[in-house]
Amino acid sequence: MRHVGSVLRRVLVPFLSVLTALLLGGVVIILTDFDNLQHIVTDPLGTLVGAVKGVLAAYGAMLAGAFGDPGRIGTALQTGNATDIARAIRPVTETLVSAMPLIFCGLAVAISFRAGMFNIGGDGQLLIGALAATTSAIYLNGHAPSWLILIASIAFATLAGGAWGFVPGFLKARTGAHEVITTIMLNYIASLFVFFTLTTSVDLRAAGSTTPVSKQLSGITDVPNIISLPTIRLDYGFVVALLMAVAVSWLLFRTTKGFELRASGFSPTAARYAGMSAGGSMMLAMSLSGGLCGMAGGFLVIGTVGQLSLDISGGIGFNAIALALLAGLRPSGVVVSALLFGALTQGGKRMGIDTGIPFDLLLLIMALVIMFVAAPGLIRSIWRVRVSKPAPEIASVSTESAGTL
Amino acid sequence: MTAAAVTIGAQPEGLAARRALRNSRLRALGFGVFAVLAIYLASKSFDVAAQFSFWIDKQGGQAATLSTTVGAIWVVAAAATALVAVLQLRGAEFRWRPWLLVAIAPWIAALIGNLLAGKPAVMTNVIAGSLELAAPISMAAMAGILSERSGMFNIALEGKMLVGACVAAIAGSVVSLATGNTVLAVLVAVVSAMLVGALLGLLLAWLGIRHKVNQVIAGTVINIGALGITSFIFLRILSRATQFNSPPPVQAIRIPLLADLPVLGPILFVATPYVYVAYALVVILTYMIYRTRWGLRLRAAGEKPAAAGTVGINVLQIRYRALILAGLISGLAGSYLSLATSSSFQLNMAVGKGYIGLAAMIFGGWHPVGAFLAALVFGFADATQSLLSILGVDVAPQILQSIPYVVTIIVVAGVVGRVRGPASAGQPYEQG
Repeated sequence: MRHVGSVLRRVLVPFLSVLTALLLGGVVIILTDFDNLQHIVTDPLGTLVGAVKGVLAAYGAMLAGAFGDPGRIGTALQTGNATDIARAIRPVTETLVSAMPLIFCGLAVAISFRAGMFNIGGDGQLLIGALAATTSAIYLNGHAPSWLILIASIAFATLAGGAWGFVPGFLKARTGAHEVITTIMLNYIASLFVFFTLTTSVDLRAAGSTTPVSKQLSGITDVPNIISLPTIRLDYGFVVALLMAVAVSWLLFRTTKGFELRASGFSPTAARYAGMSAGGSMMLAMSLSGGLCGMAGGFLVIGTVGQLSLDISGGIGFNAIALALLAGLRPSGVVVSALLFGALTQGGKRMGIDTGIPFDLLLLIMALVIMFVAAPGLIRSIWRVRVSKPAPEIASVSTESAGTL
Repeated sequence: MTAAAVTIGAQPEGLAARRALRNSRLRALGFGVFAVLAIYLASKSFDVAAQFSFWIDKQGGQAATLSTTVGAIWVVAAAATALVAVLQLRGAEFRWRPWLLVAIAPWIAALIGNLLAGKPAVMTNVIAGSLELAAPISMAAMAGILSERSGMFNIALEGKMLVGACVAAIAGSVVSLATGNTVLAVLVAVVSAMLVGALLGLLLAWLGIRHKVNQVIAGTVINIGALGITSFIFLRILSRATQFNSPPPVQAIRIPLLADLPVLGPILFVATPYVYVAYALVVILTYMIYRTRWGLRLRAAGEKPAAAGTVGINVLQIRYRALILAGLISGLAGSYLSLATSSSFQLNMAVGKGYIGLAAMIFGGWHPVGAFLAALVFGFADATQSLLSILGVDVAPQILQSIPYVVTIIVVAGVVGRVRGPASAGQPYEQG
């Protein structure tokens, strides 16, 4: 019983954070609905009802987009018709598809955080990984069997993302340059670089396309699907993501290297006095972090999307920060939060289509989630509950190892 | 350092000196190689014309033109680089970093000359453009200096600028629609952007001080939230009702008499008010930080808050006020984006300007004058990029656009010279 209580207390703050953020998002929806608000003087009650209806419609669409209709799934499974089943379970599988890169990038943020580094360059590392995967798939096409191309592309994506992540780690360790600035700058550079290659490289660019997108990769290689049904995109990238969560958990909590990472993150000075290399930990953590994001990019272009474009990351790097903090930087928590955020992403898209409410609302909700998780005092005063202090890792990151900012 | 490190410290003393000497010789060799490279490049480009012209009286009026060849500029670059190499030979105590600028300036001029490949460049536009583009970066850097001098990280500059730009666009449009008075509209737009910036500054201070949220995380919250809310408002309202996204533009002002000075007039005294405000801020902040009691207290709060607290200074109050002031300034810088550059708000229109402002602050050694000069470097990089793309130079626009970001990384990494910031910036302070 006490165990259940402690778990409940641990999830209380994350739960209330998400709830509060969604409520505030609802307020923003109401305040920007001018068609409804213009009647506020003549018909205040009707406006209030309209406002609540607007929010319910938006979040209702979000729920439907994220989980589909359970009743429909049941009937479809009974009939056994492949198209029906696919259509019924598609919202759920798409949620898992959205969660896949979020798991990778959430783990990436968690690793770097544990080592005292704040990696907000996930988008750039993901893009560079995606570019590496695309390039290797296109150049290896015809020279190797499809499965080998798949493995090579993912491997190159991981290496490229790792190299992109190594740069800020190296700069922080050697010169004290703050990783927040360098990773953001590398995001812009990565995006411009991918834009550049997609516009100039004849080998990569899709023929006859006016927008910068690469050739279709699905003809070259593909990540095998878990369920083979029409329109279902859930592939083994998701399984690899779960395996990575296990691997990261093992690395952080069961190995000496992991201990060193966490020790350097906790207190670089203490780690140094204990004979560990804080700088080495920074570089290692950032390389691993970048590698995970790069791997996500690889699975996105090879598997989910099948094509490289500039908007392939779609803000995953920022969402990953929110979900890693929400997860208390625990790999298992990252998986759970990534599923939640995958549902939010998938639902947010549906919300945009059904109600015209821009998807970008989610960014605001993510920001609020980070704020509430990092400042549990806010949650305490809003909901009048007793909450525990934030994880010491979240509180300590980057204060002692601040560097030049 | 521990006691053990001090006792064995005597031996490596000579080792360190020898290593420094070796490094300085290597550096001299490096400079020498670059000098030879410049001579080689000069021999290749004596037939390439380089024309730099300056407007004498006004834009598009008479011009004074400086005609030479790119080869000649390379010769200057080679001479300057060789000079630095020779000076470096004197030994390890030679302070090479300032001299690096002497060598780099002609290199950049020559490289631009090569890229232009004989096309005439109007330097008045480049220099005036640098000043104009440096204005928001400089203001962001000033906001950063105020915060960090008080002991608070201010990653949130980017978000504050973005929200400032959005609010200025909306407020300016609404007032201009309602009254038709463009001057009033601009004033209201600027003031509301500043107020929103100040509110966000207060939020940052409140999260960081009251709730002891890590200041980098608190800043990131504001940056992500700002991106989300402004994109949301743009897509939900502004892109459909464009009348709410057409604020009156802020145009260049001619300063009477001074603008008539030949050559200098069109460069320095025909600019948007933002440029003059940026100058003024540099002067005012330099005076306030280094010559007033308030400034002394501000610096004490950032360097050694415990000591400041001991002598009765209210450190937390100073930090709150500094962040609100910084918010006002960054809101002003944000309003520049939507009022002076495109006269409308666009998605994510800050594109890293806030972070670049932080880089300028670091480059400038947390001093307003230094930060302003650093902002000029970034402004120059921006202006050169637009010059090259207007003249249709054969370099991909994405490469040119990435220059400011690359420069920022180099600057932050301190390749140009290690600098030391306020000792306690980013550390929470427990006030008894």
